[in-house]
Amino acid sequence: MVLDQFNLTRRIPKKTGVFGYTLAYSKDIIEAIVEEVIPDDEREEAIKEYGLGRPMKLIEGGDTHYVLQVIKNNSLIRYLVNWGRMASLWPAHLTTACCSVEFGAVSCSRYDPERFGWIPATGTLRQSDVLLIEGTVNMKMAQRVRMIYDQMPNPKWVIAMGACAISGGLYAKDSYNVLQGLNDIVPVDVYVPGCPPRPETIFQGFLLLRDKILKSRLD
Amino acid sequence: MTWEKLRKIIDDVKEKFGEDLVREVYVERKIAKIVVKKESIVEVARYLRDTHRFDHVKGVTGVDLSRLREGGGPYIEVLYHLGSLEDQELNDVILNISVILDIENPTVSSLYSIWPSVEFHEREVYDMLGVIFNGHPKLERILLPEYWMDIPPLRKEYKVPGRG
Repeated sequence: MVLDQFNLTRRIPKKTGVFGYTLAYSKDIIEAIVEEVIPDDEREEAIKEYGLGRPMKLIEGGDTHYVLQVIKNNSLIRYLVNWGRMASLWPAHLTTACCSVEFGAVSCSRYDPERFGWIPATGTLRQSDVLLIEGTVNMKMAQRVRMIYDQMPNPKWVIAMGACAISGGLYAKDSYNVLQGLNDIVPVDVYVPGCPPRPETIFQGFLLLRDKILKSRLD
Repeated sequence: MTWEKLRKIIDDVKEKFGEDLVREVYVERKIAKIVVKKESIVEVARYLRDTHRFDHVKGVTGVDLSRLREGGGPYIEVLYHLGSLEDQELNDVILNISVILDIENPTVSSLYSIWPSVEFHEREVYDMLGVIFNGHPKLERILLPEYWMDIPPLRKEYKVPGRG
């Protein structure tokens, strides 16, 4: 299936509601999506293997790993690392719709995003930290968004800009070709509302992201 | 002056392709349209390009006429909006030529050989209404996703998922 190669099948649960139906409307796609429910007798093993509330497997390494984690999560070290990450964000912005006009205004000298460590342009995705999606994401673009997200190295953050990227916006509920919210395909850290958002709102989004990075734990 | 010239052009085409014309619609400062039979659209287009200097197509539109209140039926209309840059009098007017196709088998010959700029527009009409253009160099999906398996979304019988 098309969705399988982007590992999307796990992220799109089979839903009967309005939003789920609009995303997976095609018969074959609905058949390809399997809802995974762990049976009761295997639950303890699964918790032992994956850990409770963890999306990924625990890394084997025993005590060394534990010691590394303790050092990493020492509050001073954590603060310094996060401060470094927060103060120079390398964004990749994906122009999917008209919100890019406001983002163009943000990137210019009148608003000057470099005050917040936001570098206006990045060379390549491999050097980027933040993915900023500007506007409507349709079904054809959704696969490309996921592909771009997968190409970026960890740690990475996502900002959804505008009403369309948040919930479908103008095309909510009954569109045949528009994704009903970006969080169906990628994990979103900050939502910037507006249609389109004012530059001040986008700056608030930047500041919220900086705050989030500064307070986050290290992997 | 320009609309009078457009009237003259329509009359000229009517004189030359008398039986191939289905009807013409002319309302001054509003619309100028020639409906032709689908067998002769390439000839009419070539005649308009060579004789009356309509050198480009501004757009190609498809309309599903099946739920039109007056004069509707199981048809799809494909419209070509022609413009002229060479002829200064025709700069600010648009002449439409259109074909009316059966909705069960919407097939028409492509005008790619006359105006190459119709390539993407015809692909869009193919995508949205399922009209097949014979002689098109690359008739593939352009706007819809590659895995689209439903009927074309601008047909009237298409039901939008999520709308009851």
